[in-house]
Amino acid sequence: MLFVLKRIGVSVLLVWVVATIVFLAIRMVPGDPAAILLSQGGVAPDPAAVAALRVQLGLNQPLGLQYVEDMRRLLVGNLGQSLQDQTPVAGEILRRLPRTLELIGAAAVLAVLVGLPAGLVAAMRRGGTFDRIASWLAAAALAVPVFVVGTLMVAIFAQGLHWAPAGGYVSFARHPLRHLVLLAMPAATIAVGLAAILFRMTRAAVLDVSMRDYIRTARAKGVAPRRILARHVLRNALMPIVTVLALNLGSLLGGTVLVEYVFNWPGLSGLLVDAVNARDYPEVQGVVLVISVLFVALNLVVDLLYALLDPRVRHG
Amino acid sequence: MVALSRREWLIGAAALPALAETARAAPADTLRFGLSSYPPSLQPWANTGTAALTVKTLLHRGLLMFGTDGKVKGALASSWARDGKNGWSFKLRDALFHNGQKVTAEDVKWSLEQIMAPTSTAYLRGQFQAIASIEAPDAKTVRILMKQPTVTLPLMLATPFAPVIAKGSLNAAGGIGAGPYTLTAQERGVSLSFAAFAKFYEPGHPKLRAIHMPVYADENARVAALQSGDVDMIEYVPWQAMAGIQKNPKLVLNTVDGPYMALAFNGGTGPFKDERLRQAVAHAIRREEIVAAAFFGRGTVLEGLPITKSSEFYDPKYAHGWNYDPKLAKQLMAAAGVPNGFDCTLLSTAQYGMHLATAQVVQQHLAAIGIKVKLDLPDWATRVAMGNRGQYEFCVQGQTADNNDPDGLSAYIDGTLPPDNARSYHLPTPEIHKLLAEGRAEFDPAKRRAIYDELQRVAIKVVPLAALCWRAQGYAMTKNVHGFTNMPGGLNFYSGYSLENVYFG
Amino acid sequence: MQRLRPGPVAAVGAIALLALLVPLFGLDNPLHMDIAHRLARPTLAHPLGQDAYGRDVLSRLLWGARVSLAVASSSSLLACLFGTALGLAGGFLRGPVEFVALRGMDVVLCFPPLLLALLVVTLLGPGAATLIPVLAVLYLPGFVRVVYAGVLSVRNQDYVEAMRSLGAGRLRIMLGTILPNVGGPVLVQLSLAAASAVVLESGLSFLGLGVVPPAPSWGLMIGEARATMLQAPLLLLWPCLALSVTILALNALCDALRDAVDPHGITRGRRRAALLERLAPGLLPQPGPALELVGLTIAIDTPAGPIHPVRDVSLRVMPHETLALVGESGSGKSLTGLATMGLLPPVARVAGGAAWIDGRDVLRLDEAALRRLRGATVAMIFQDPLSSLNPVQRIATQIGEAIEAHGASGARAAWRRAVELLRHVGIPDPERRAHNFPHEMSGGMRQRAMIAMAIANQPRLLIADEPTTALDVTIQAQVLDLLATLRRESGMALVFITHSLPVVAEIADRVAVMYAGEIVEQGRVAEVFARPLHPYTAALLASVPREDASLPEPIPGTVPPPYALPPGCAFAPRCRLARADCASGTLPLTEVMAERLTRCRRWSELA
Ligand code: SF4
Repeated sequence: MLFVLKRIGVSVLLVWVVATIVFLAIRMVPGDPAAILLSQGGVAPDPAAVAALRVQLGLNQPLGLQYVEDMRRLLVGNLGQSLQDQTPVAGEILRRLPRTLELIGAAAVLAVLVGLPAGLVAAMRRGGTFDRIASWLAAAALAVPVFVVGTLMVAIFAQGLHWAPAGGYVSFARHPLRHLVLLAMPAATIAVGLAAILFRMTRAAVLDVSMRDYIRTARAKGVAPRRILARHVLRNALMPIVTVLALNLGSLLGGTVLVEYVFNWPGLSGLLVDAVNARDYPEVQGVVLVISVLFVALNLVVDLLYALLDPRVRHG
Repeated sequence: MVALSRREWLIGAAALPALAETARAAPADTLRFGLSSYPPSLQPWANTGTAALTVKTLLHRGLLMFGTDGKVKGALASSWARDGKNGWSFKLRDALFHNGQKVTAEDVKWSLEQIMAPTSTAYLRGQFQAIASIEAPDAKTVRILMKQPTVTLPLMLATPFAPVIAKGSLNAAGGIGAGPYTLTAQERGVSLSFAAFAKFYEPGHPKLRAIHMPVYADENARVAALQSGDVDMIEYVPWQAMAGIQKNPKLVLNTVDGPYMALAFNGGTGPFKDERLRQAVAHAIRREEIVAAAFFGRGTVLEGLPITKSSEFYDPKYAHGWNYDPKLAKQLMAAAGVPNGFDCTLLSTAQYGMHLATAQVVQQHLAAIGIKVKLDLPDWATRVAMGNRGQYEFCVQGQTADNNDPDGLSAYIDGTLPPDNARSYHLPTPEIHKLLAEGRAEFDPAKRRAIYDELQRVAIKVVPLAALCWRAQGYAMTKNVHGFTNMPGGLNFYSGYSLENVYFG
Repeated sequence: MQRLRPGPVAAVGAIALLALLVPLFGLDNPLHMDIAHRLARPTLAHPLGQDAYGRDVLSRLLWGARVSLAVASSSSLLACLFGTALGLAGGFLRGPVEFVALRGMDVVLCFPPLLLALLVVTLLGPGAATLIPVLAVLYLPGFVRVVYAGVLSVRNQDYVEAMRSLGAGRLRIMLGTILPNVGGPVLVQLSLAAASAVVLESGLSFLGLGVVPPAPSWGLMIGEARATMLQAPLLLLWPCLALSVTILALNALCDALRDAVDPHGITRGRRRAALLERLAPGLLPQPGPALELVGLTIAIDTPAGPIHPVRDVSLRVMPHETLALVGESGSGKSLTGLATMGLLPPVARVAGGAAWIDGRDVLRLDEAALRRLRGATVAMIFQDPLSSLNPVQRIATQIGEAIEAHGASGARAAWRRAVELLRHVGIPDPERRAHNFPHEMSGGMRQRAMIAMAIANQPRLLIADEPTTALDVTIQAQVLDLLATLRRESGMALVFITHSLPVVAEIADRVAVMYAGEIVEQGRVAEVFARPLHPYTAALLASVPREDASLPEPIPGTVPPPYALPPGCAFAPRCRLARADCASGTLPLTEVMAERLTRCRRWSELA
């Protein structure tokens, strides 16, 4: 119980540190939200109009005061309003977050389905034909930027074969089939790189584990290879694989921008980039805060998984 | 794992196109228009970008607007005339706001006063300071009294920056307008939907029952959406995709020269305090290479002030005042005491390809006459901040005149106005300022022409900006979309006005 | 430390060299524009074509390699260095260091990479000099996590504890013990980081946060090619291709590096049975012995040709009998045991000879038949019971697995039998202990569990490889007792591999002394110990602490490695009796007395 409380305390501390850093950093970076909002398309507004907008948005107040205001607001769970159109930030994030989570989740499932077995087979037949081909493919997948994969998919499946729309988003509730069709391509695009990473890690971890003494013991017992693989090798190799997967999923939380752009998928990353470009302070802070909370949650899940996978963690 | 037989696979594959169809079906009388960005705000009078302008041309009308011929025409005002030395009066037609209320002179007066107000964030706020008073003598008449005679007031009012909304209806989401369409749904960052306003003042307009505007921020995604049939029409066609669209028999590309690229200078510090060096730069650039590299040949070389060829103020005498002449450039440098060149920094942004490409070509060409240019390429937001603060020696600009009258260039060439990102920094141009003021107050066309001839002559010498090229601004649509007008020059971003004429044929 | 494979090193070296030597190639100026020929297809003058500004793509690609590789390698190395240090420090020093290291990384991870890059680049200005620290910070958490996890898993292992109790400095433990153990994952992480650094550089350059144009870099080229990717796909292909070749080379190098530092020493060499051996099987055995080795020779293939860590080993063990295989480490005794089980590590292969167990030549059995034999007819227990037991399975499950592998009994029956076996090997409260994980038991208990596992199917032969070395003296005696009792009860044969002569004296009937891959002396324990017939045996005996408190005499020098065997008698360099003729010719193992074999020319001088 104390452990749990301590963990929660640390998490709150972490989120606070992140919130403070974001608050300071985003304001340290040059660019004035009022000026940007009013000088879209290369035209310049009247400087007095910009000044008036700054007053309206409360940007003319001293930094310390803004910080105290912000933190007080955050304490009661209010993420504030967008500087651009006064939309509540929380609502916007709630709309966007599930889409990004869905995208990442689908990509992760695809990547695990491909990367894990491929890594396993490549490790088992190390130096063999499959290993070579798969290693080549993984290197290529890591080398080809995600926007190339995405653009190719659009060119082939949307513009060429007309199998699917080029991009967009429809909620599952409104049109389930259409929703899944639209989800497939961006998820697959993200999965390509992720699968390559998982492949590399699985291959390495399996090789590592199969060199352990307890695998020799299992062989000495005469245990069948299939069972050795499932019960001894895979189970022990899962720890590093889970670590790497979690790290990558975490970084995907704000890192699916290019895919979202290419497929016009209105997710959280796009919101973040737009918010940064517009220097929409509350929106940037809100998104980063939500991402860090999610990240903390992800960590917790990973820790639980560790405990599930490894009794030494459970007891130590 | 479910094993699919080959036959099942084939059936599945055959079903896919049908699946795609269900994924994009839309009613026949709805125009699906791919926007290039989601309007950050729908505040009626602020400038929040071209996408917002397009949306505002659907939702709102002002007293006046631009017709498809580029001329000012009546919108909520059926007629207008000069009223006394300093005044203009406008007769309102019978128009209704979206809430069914009549558009009255009071609404007009209130709206225009909001623009003028001290706390206003309106785009025309500065220009409206020239208004002395606004009167509503009766429900159908509006009188605007200027501090000085002003011939350009109708041009100002015809832009989508001066819409009339129902008195007191301003809120965070915008206000109640009297435009051809009403906003029926919007999903922030994703799409906006509009339905025709049944009681729009112009009978038979708008022609389409509904417009759906999904946002495609990525230019390739936007083109892909058009080519795969997800939308009927897109704005801001990327230049590299234009050839492909022209080749596609199902699509039509519609381009005109609209915005222009230019260099602005810091007149406060650095080498470009000296107008001879500004001239040298203006003469040292082979502009066709910018057209080629930044716009894939879709643009026009611009060697004078950005006044379109179709304008009555276009003067071939001055249109090539900054022609490519490296010898002259070298002479000018020698005269300025730096015959062997100098080092300087060019501010641009890497966020937009055209700004980046322009900067790289300029760098290369200036190197040829000995000017060593270092590129400073921050993100756009920083670029705007640096522009506003004058943190540059010279910088790349991509902009549009406010309209096709030379007065529409005021914000970009009048260095005497307070410093900002749109024009050269700390580069006072008293002559230009005086000429612009004279032109604004002169009602006689011939005399105006003389004034603007002089303006062009002075500008060629002073180089308040070094214009580089017009860039083609393209809309692309399927063959069956008719009635859209892509307006040239400074009116380009107001092309949304013609969406009320669009129909499927 | 194994030798590093040359292929991947050469590949990475070639790429690096190419990048370094670019200025010497006399390529076009990578910045020179030729807009009239923008997007031109490949020509003789421009073999890879021209880009959107008409610049030579080949020249930009090669010049770009310098920038991209410099950015990628320095940022990933920087991250690797700091990340490893932080992970080590956090995992090993614990306390506040652990807290700061881990939570600090959490803070970094909370920032989406793009935002982080944007913030830093906007503050420091774009360019390669900014890009390196940005990317390094982005990859830092990956390294910290991987290293930290690795440290956690070895932190509590016996040998680390042992070193700690021996007073080894923390730094030495970290560098000497833990680092090699986390080396593999770190290297993989390094190759991933270096690869994604270049890709990320393209993403950041694309957003204007990377290398400043017009300077060439692969990332910038990829970013620039994006606009025209449908018009000029080749522009995208070249940098992507360059990038994937580099990644492949890096991956291969990491693989090779990992093999080289891996303490378990595996290389890609695969087991091949020599055709000749298959056609000419060994002599038929005489009936009776539980194990008979005939001329067993083991080879390891190295780039310089095969080496033979075990040569011509012949011995015989009868039922009820205990044979001790003695020698210093490196003498080949463990490999001999593993070969008998068919469990040689993949590097090693049987190059000759035969091993008969219960009348069957196990070296010529296929894997399936061998598997049926292992754990049933022949079983083995190992030196380190902790690492030899699966850390994530319960003890009884692991024992039960041995039973299930050779019988049709269900999991519950196997569990019950496992509990019985635990009781049989003297584990108190076996019902409760059965549920334990290996890390929850003491060292002696774990070894008892290993023994229970080995005897689960009443094997005819038990090979025990240093089963008591990791245990303290009292426990050691108990385990030896247990083994002796079990052998007496079941009549199995026992091969006891050890370096400890007192243990031999206690448990074995006969002893075979191995030196540098060969048996140098063999005979009954009492006779050999009383009157060794080989100088090495004599020296071994003299090096044991004796009860009469006379000082032990250590043997000078070390066992020669199998790739540097001296000619003639392998022991000659260390032998007190060596003469000139000892260092030439071949020495056979000769039966000089009844059941006494020795491999020494001058045995008679000892007798
Ligand atoms: S052969 Fe010679 S060197 Fe070898 S052990 Fe005998 S005496 Fe010593």
